[in-house]
Amino acid sequence: MSSTTDAAARRTRFDDLVGGYYADMFRYAAWLSRDRAVAEDVVQEALLRAWKSLDSLRDDAAAKHWLLTIVRRENARYFERKRLETVDFDNLTGAQSALLAEEPDHQAEHMREAIFELEDDYREPLVLQVLMGYSTNEIAELMGLKQGAVLTRLHRARHKLKESMDK
Amino acid sequence: MNCEEYREAITADPSYDGGAAHLSDCAACQAYRREVLALDKTIAGALAIEVPPLKMPALPEIETDTVIALRPRSRSVSTWLAVAATVTIAAVVGFRMLATDVVYESLEEEILAHLDHEPAALVVSDKPVSDRRLNRVVPASIATLGHGAGLITYAQTCVINGKDIPHLVIQGERGPVTVLLMPDEKIDAAADLNGEHTRGVLLPVGEGSIAIIGNREESIAPITSSILKSVAWET
Repeated sequence: MSSTTDAAARRTRFDDLVGGYYADMFRYAAWLSRDRAVAEDVVQEALLRAWKSLDSLRDDAAAKHWLLTIVRRENARYFERKRLETVDFDNLTGAQSALLAEEPDHQAEHMREAIFELEDDYREPLVLQVLMGYSTNEIAELMGLKQGAVLTRLHRARHKLKESMDK
Repeated sequence: MNCEEYREAITADPSYDGGAAHLSDCAACQAYRREVLALDKTIAGALAIEVPPLKMPALPEIETDTVIALRPRSRSVSTWLAVAATVTIAAVVGFRMLATDVVYESLEEEILAHLDHEPAALVVSDKPVSDRRLNRVVPASIATLGHGAGLITYAQTCVINGKDIPHLVIQGERGPVTVLLMPDEKIDAAADLNGEHTRGVLLPVGEGSIAIIGNREESIAPITSSILKSVAWET
């Protein structure tokens, strides 16, 4: 196979993988950062890194986990670079507010605000479980935690959300 | 199982399907389960934010010729052990030099990072894991494990490259040694694993691979030999 054909095949493979998981990548980045603009930057960087290291992905069936892992690391790098601190819920930027302002349904809007206010340690496993369909074992692996710790965080996250919704 | 245990389990994971006997007899827990499922539906709806159109960044040209050609796989155990220390060091070093952006995205890096995630597994112990646990982590559908593998003091199902795999720790002469059995992780050639305080090998075994990592003072070769004699994939 010529190098031109190799390059085209590589690009096709990349486009197929990204096309299948781009929405997951963006939503994960958005809920990690709580900021749509940051999420867009993080995903751009993650796509670039994924492209450069595509040849290390041996099994396309593992692409989702691979891409989300890259997003997680890029998000950490972004916040290391920017030295951003915790978000003040009463003083949101436009991009942060944009994450909350899309929902016409009052209950969903209330829930989105409650999720937004969850501590990072609780919000991330919840996103991985509910949105990405990860098992608690997979969450433990991605976050570098014991499975018991993941279960505790998920339990507390739902309790906090329930309390918030009951108010 | 009582109400508290059931509610803890289902609140942490609404897909939890244990405790069926308790659930069928407890109307309160049935109602609680319905409540949790409804809550999760609302959570899922709230998390599913609108996604902007994909804007692909400018992707640099990749020299496909620079992709390392891995050594053809050998089926001889003695050959793996003999050449692993020479050929693969060059391959690993070359790979790292050529792919400076690939920091964690190779199998070798993922394995070493995984060890960092579970430091509690790496303890000196003379207490073997129970046969029940070992059979659960290494079921016959994955592999059979002979008695010559050594003293296994830790067994856990973990995820490597997106797949559930058995993670074992056996006791070596100089401390705990990690063994990762990856029946579906086919590799072309053996590779060295070099962590900050650890070293080991990643070996192709049939249609899968096995990683064996100990501390830097540990003599890996005899452990590798006994592991390879003890493990047989279920095909």
